Amino acid sequence: MNRRKFLKQVTLWSAGILMVPPVFDISPAALGAKTDAAPDIFATKGKDITAMVRQLVDAMGGMERFVNKKDTVVVKPNIGWDRNVDQGANTHPQVVTALAGLALEAGAAKVLVFDRTCNEERRCYQNSGIKPALDAMDDRRIACEYIDDRKFVPVKIKGGRSLTEWSFYKDALTADCYINVPVAKHHSSSGLTLGLKNAMGVIGGRRGRLHMDLSPRIADLNLVIQPDFTLVDATRILLRNGPSGGRLSDVKIMDTLIAGTDPVAVDAYATTLFGLEPADVQSTVEGFERGLGQMDLSRCRIQVFDT
Amino acid sequence: MAASGKDAGAGRYTDPSAGKAGHGQGKDTSVGKEGQGRGLSGSFGGAASDRGIKPRLKTVRTGVQLICLGLFLWLFRITDYTGSDTIPWAVNIWFRLDPLVGAGVTLATRTLIFLLWPCLVVIGVTFVFGRVFCGWVCPLGTLIDLSGRFIHPKKKFQVQLRFLKYMILIVVLLSAFFTVQLVGLFDPLSLLVRGMTFSIDPLFNFLVTGGFDWIYLNGPAWLSNQTEAVYDVFKSFLLPYKQSFFFLSVFSFFLLVAIFVLELAGRRFWCRNLCPLGAMLGLVSKISPFRRIPARACKDCDMCRTDCPMDAVNENRQIMTEECNLCMDCLAYCPKGITSFQFKGSLQKNLPDIGRRQVLAAGLLGIALPVVIRTDALSRMPAPDVIRPPGALAENDFLAACVRCGECMKVCINNALQPLFLERGLAPMFTPVLVPRLGYCEFNCTLCTQVCPTRALQPLDLAQKHTFVLGTAWFDKNRCIPYAEKRPCIVCEEHCPVHDKAIKFHTITVVDDRGRTMVLKQPYVRQDLCIGCGICENVCPVPGTAAVHVAAKGSMSDTFGAGTSYP
Repeated sequence: MNRRKFLKQVTLWSAGILMVPPVFDISPAALGAKTDAAPDIFATKGKDITAMVRQLVDAMGGMERFVNKKDTVVVKPNIGWDRNVDQGANTHPQVVTALAGLALEAGAAKVLVFDRTCNEERRCYQNSGIKPALDAMDDRRIACEYIDDRKFVPVKIKGGRSLTEWSFYKDALTADCYINVPVAKHHSSSGLTLGLKNAMGVIGGRRGRLHMDLSPRIADLNLVIQPDFTLVDATRILLRNGPSGGRLSDVKIMDTLIAGTDPVAVDAYATTLFGLEPADVQSTVEGFERGLGQMDLSRCRIQVFDT
Repeated sequence: MAASGKDAGAGRYTDPSAGKAGHGQGKDTSVGKEGQGRGLSGSFGGAASDRGIKPRLKTVRTGVQLICLGLFLWLFRITDYTGSDTIPWAVNIWFRLDPLVGAGVTLATRTLIFLLWPCLVVIGVTFVFGRVFCGWVCPLGTLIDLSGRFIHPKKKFQVQLRFLKYMILIVVLLSAFFTVQLVGLFDPLSLLVRGMTFSIDPLFNFLVTGGFDWIYLNGPAWLSNQTEAVYDVFKSFLLPYKQSFFFLSVFSFFLLVAIFVLELAGRRFWCRNLCPLGAMLGLVSKISPFRRIPARACKDCDMCRTDCPMDAVNENRQIMTEECNLCMDCLAYCPKGITSFQFKGSLQKNLPDIGRRQVLAAGLLGIALPVVIRTDALSRMPAPDVIRPPGALAENDFLAACVRCGECMKVCINNALQPLFLERGLAPMFTPVLVPRLGYCEFNCTLCTQVCPTRALQPLDLAQKHTFVLGTAWFDKNRCIPYAEKRPCIVCEEHCPVHDKAIKFHTITVVDDRGRTMVLKQPYVRQDLCIGCGICENVCPVPGTAAVHVAAKGSMSDTFGAGTSYP
């Protein structure tokens, strides 16, 4: 937790004192890029999403492993599109509420849920079902708030190959625990959008500019945003017309959730649900090359549960 | 008497009730009851003995005005997305109550629009009570009254142009009859809502959020923690959801400010001299039986002539019922206390204050203007940038039905609808167009079609909205990155919301500028699928002018020819 405390200190010291927003200087070496020789991947199939989430988190060692008492926890789903739950363009609201609930159980002081959306944010938060579901939990510790433009701070990306500086959302940088909750779906530029690509939701600027060299840049962003664990929502997956989708015939019900602390390994495994190889998704390859994780599934310990 | 004479001279427009409130203090309670009884039997004021209710009546009137203004402002504020796909309140009710809008739209479209029937209520009330709408209800009138606390008329600027409002009314209605809709340029509610939408509301939000943001970004944490809490309250109750930006913010601002500056030339200058809605209601009120008694100003006293805010007493000391807005201030300032309002009035023989030549001039202008507008060469020019909102009628019908109220632009969730200025001539000024580079039309949103008071935007359900064509996108391959620079992009394709994407791509193998062979996706538009929402143009990462543009419906088709903008 040293990095996070350091970041927190930097933010607190700089907040409100400097006229110029602080430029965060994060080197991958200091982060201790955590390539595990044989990372764990957990997957589960079933209909009871809340129970499945708990099962996966327990398998990883319980939420207490990631969340200390009084921690600020970020749960980062994909809320990018003004689409409903069935259309599969956003993370399933029950996955989000289950994680928020577990984080609170583990003693989190604050659970922040946000995403920088592509469509109008109020419509996305509402029609994805995520904001109504979190509001229904009626817990003051949960904040499902829209992106506040004032909170984007420029960050120097040390080790970035295609991208050396970009603005990131302060709450994502300073969180004690960052849980990445992407939805698995087709994406016309990057092939698939999974865990690594989900980092696009915590960055500022004109994101379209990243598309000229998208996959290397996604990997570069993940040098900064390193989640404590990634939980991929593959309860239903969008096979075509991603990332926005909209047509129900493009959606396949998979009833699957995948979790792990290695973001590359989790993405690699999720890729197989689409009948593809991990190497077919360029951002996975780029992530592996930057030492963000393992993409060779034969080297991963994969455990599949059935509920 | 001497004292009041001085009053009239020195403080011509001072509040008369202030000094006289003391008169009937002792009798307050008993007189109040009496006043109530009289009110029920159909009269206000009267004998000298019940002066006690007079200051109170002014308070009641001001109260009613403030409630109406509050309602107006509240409806203005909730003209926004609130988490539901439907707007729960009739936020456009002010325009539906507006008989000028009703008459203009009915004349120009030659259809009876059910949505506009509430304006008959205002007509009916005016038939019975006179211009109470102007004195008690109109939010612009209330704001003008309130501005009187700060803007005091200058004696040397006093102008009396009562005829002008009738001329404007004649021009507007005649033009409407010849299907050129000019109501929106002069309708007080349109002026007010547009001015607030385009300039006042953005200005207010800019100042407030700018202050809080400055403290948040530059102030110490202990202070910004406090101010952020206050900011949250502001955001919840007073501020719009986000900062909006509009073309014509400056122009609309000065149009609205001008109405208040004109107060220097006399109280309620706009209402007395310019407002065509006031003129219309005035004409209706000519036959209303509810009148001020006595119908003439007394010979030995000038109070009615000098203190009437509407200047409703003519040179012959006669009260002009079409000018009286029933503010009933004269109950309070009448030194004799003989004024009252009763259902006793007989029909006045005097005609409205407009000469025959002025009627003729206005009539000729009302006939000439639509023709002159239609012979503008602009009407023969293709207009690819005039992308109308979803649900819009065919262009000519749309222009006839739209009253430029600004509601659609206010409610637009992406601040994508913007007013036209003179790009297409005078007639379409202030009508809404989609400007995709500023904002796109949200696929699942139908709010603008719900708030339109005149059905210029036809209501659409979600399925209809998904197929309603605003225009068609086209690529500028000289700028589009995968074509011009041979680098990957297709951000447009990702965002295309149509369920079978209207933007598709060819996957080709190319040799780029550095001699590298690469696989590239080059986008193209399926014109049969594109609805012209403009999200592609909005998100196009090409700096400056986008590489994909939406052209308005019809402007790109083979059938487009000269003279299609006007019949």
